[in-house]
Amino acid sequence: MARPSSTSAYAFLAFPLGVLIVFTLVPTMLGLGLSLFTWDGVGRASFAGLENFRALARDPRFGPALRNTLVFVVASVPPTVLIGFLVAAAMHARWFIGRSIARTMVFIPTVVSIVAIGFVWRWMLDDGGGLVPAMLRTLGFTDLPNFLQDGSWPMVSIIVVSIWRGIGLAAVLYLAALSNLGEGFDEAAACDGASRAQVLRHITWPLVGPTTVFLLITGAISALQVFDIVWAMTAGVENDATTVLNLYVFREFQQSRLGYASAIAVLIFVLTMLASAPAMTGRRARA
Amino acid sequence: MIRSPSRPARLLIHAAVYTLALSMALPFLWMLSTSLKSEAETLSGRVSLLPQSWRWSNFPAAVRAANLDRYYLNSLIIAALTTALGVLHNALAGYAFAKLRFRGRRTLLVLALFTMTLPVQVSFIFMALICARLGYLDNTTGLIVPFLASGFGIFYMKQVCTAVPGALLEAGRMDGMTDFELFWLIVRPAAWPGIAALAIITFVNSWNAFFWPLVAIDSDRAKTLPLAIADLASGKYVQSWPVRMAAATILTLPLLIGFLIFQRAFVRGVTMTGLKE
Repeated sequence: MARPSSTSAYAFLAFPLGVLIVFTLVPTMLGLGLSLFTWDGVGRASFAGLENFRALARDPRFGPALRNTLVFVVASVPPTVLIGFLVAAAMHARWFIGRSIARTMVFIPTVVSIVAIGFVWRWMLDDGGGLVPAMLRTLGFTDLPNFLQDGSWPMVSIIVVSIWRGIGLAAVLYLAALSNLGEGFDEAAACDGASRAQVLRHITWPLVGPTTVFLLITGAISALQVFDIVWAMTAGVENDATTVLNLYVFREFQQSRLGYASAIAVLIFVLTMLASAPAMTGRRARA
Repeated sequence: MIRSPSRPARLLIHAAVYTLALSMALPFLWMLSTSLKSEAETLSGRVSLLPQSWRWSNFPAAVRAANLDRYYLNSLIIAALTTALGVLHNALAGYAFAKLRFRGRRTLLVLALFTMTLPVQVSFIFMALICARLGYLDNTTGLIVPFLASGFGIFYMKQVCTAVPGALLEAGRMDGMTDFELFWLIVRPAAWPGIAALAIITFVNSWNAFFWPLVAIDSDRAKTLPLAIADLASGKYVQSWPVRMAAATILTLPLLIGFLIFQRAFVRGVTMTGLKE
C-alpha cells in the first residue's frame, strides 16, 4: 500500500481550508488587532494603543452590559443543565410511561429558531392578549407587571425562556449518556441500601460528568455570546436593563465605532476562554 | 435490582415531566391558535385554544404584508446550498485528515480545529469587509460561501471517516480507484449516518442563522426568514397579532413538521454532534 496521496489530499483540503482562512482566521486576527485602533471603516485607521479598553472602563453603559451578560450566564446555564438531567433521569427510568413522546415534546423548542421563539414568547407574555398574564389573572393575580418592559422583568423573561429552550438539548444528551451506561450500573449501590436520591446524587450524576462538563462549557460559551433571544424579545422596546455585551458590540458596529466594537468583542473572547479553561483543566486533572 | 419508586412518587414524577413537556408545546399551539383568530378575539380577554371564528385569511395577509414568500425562497435556497456544498467539503476534508497521508497533516488539522474556538464577534467586522470586497455583501452568496466549511464539521467528519474500516479502502485501491472514487463509492455510503447528522445540523443552523445575516444583509430583496420575523416581532409591517402569529407559524411549522417526520435522525444528529456549528 502506502501510495502517497498528497495531491488528492491537498485538492480535497484546498477549498474548505481556504474558506476557514479567508472568512474566519484572517478576519479574527484583523479583528483582534482592530481593538487597538480607532476606525470608522471609511477613513484611515489611527493607532490608539489600549485607549479603547480604557474608554470601556469609563463607559457608563458598559458596566450594565457586562453585568447583564454575567447574570444571564449564571442564571440560565446551571438551571438548564440541572433540569435537563432530572428530566432525563426520570424519562430513563424503566417505569416511565411514554418516554419517546415526552422526549419529542421536550425537544420541540430546540429545533425552532431562537428569533421565532422570542417572537412567540413576546405574544405569550403580551400585556394585552398574552396567555401568561391571562392565566395569572384567572388565578387571582392582579396588578401584573409588563413582563417585557418593567424594571428587571425583561431580563427575567429572557432567562426563563432561555432555560425553557435549553432543557430539551440537555435532556436528550443526558438520555444518550444514560443509555450508554447500560443496565444495572446503579444496582450495586441499591443492594447496599442506598436510597434512590442517593443513587442519583452519588452514582448517576458523577457517571454522566462528561456530559455535564460539555453542557456547562458550551452553554457558558453561547450564553456569553447571547444575542438572538435578546434581540427578538426586546426589539422596539430595548433599554439598558437588557443590553448584553454582544448587543453592545453590534450597536457600536452600527455607529461605525469599529475599534471600540472590537475591544468589547475581544473582552467577550477573553471571557469565553476563561469560562472554558477551568473546566478543561479540571477535566484533564480528573482523567 | 433497584426498586421502583412508590406509586404516588411515580405519579408525581410523571406529572412534573409531562407538565414541562406540555409547556414546550403550548407556546406553539397558542401561536397556531392565535394565527386563526380575529384581532377582536385576541383582545377580548377570552382564553381558548379554539378560535370562535376561523380566520384563514390571516395567512395570505401575513405573506403579503411581509413578503414572506420571497424570504422563504431565500432561506430555502441558502440552507439547501449551504448544506449540500458544506457537508460535501467538510466530508472531503475530514476524509483527507482521516484516511490520506500528506505533509503538514497535523498542522493543517490544528489550524482547522483552532477556528472552532474563535467567536464571531471578533471576526464579523472584517468578515463583512472581505465579503464587501468580494461582492458578497447584501446578497445570498455572502450567507452561503463563508459557511461552506467549519472547524467543527471537518473535525466531526474526520471522526466519522476514521471509523470506516481501512480494509474496505485497501480493496478499493487494489481495484485502482482514485482517492475521490474511494470517498464517493466507499466512504460516503459507509459514513452515511454521520453525514446525515451533520447535514441536519447544518441545515437547521443555516435556516435559523440570525447574527451574520443581520450584519450582511441590508436590502429587502436578500433578507432571510429570521430577519423578517425579527422585523415582524418589533412591529414592522403589521400590528395585528393574529397576522404576526400567522407569519410565525409559516416560519416554524415546516421545521416542526420536518422534525416530527425525521425525529429519529434528528435526535441522533444532535446526540452525535451536540448541536454545534
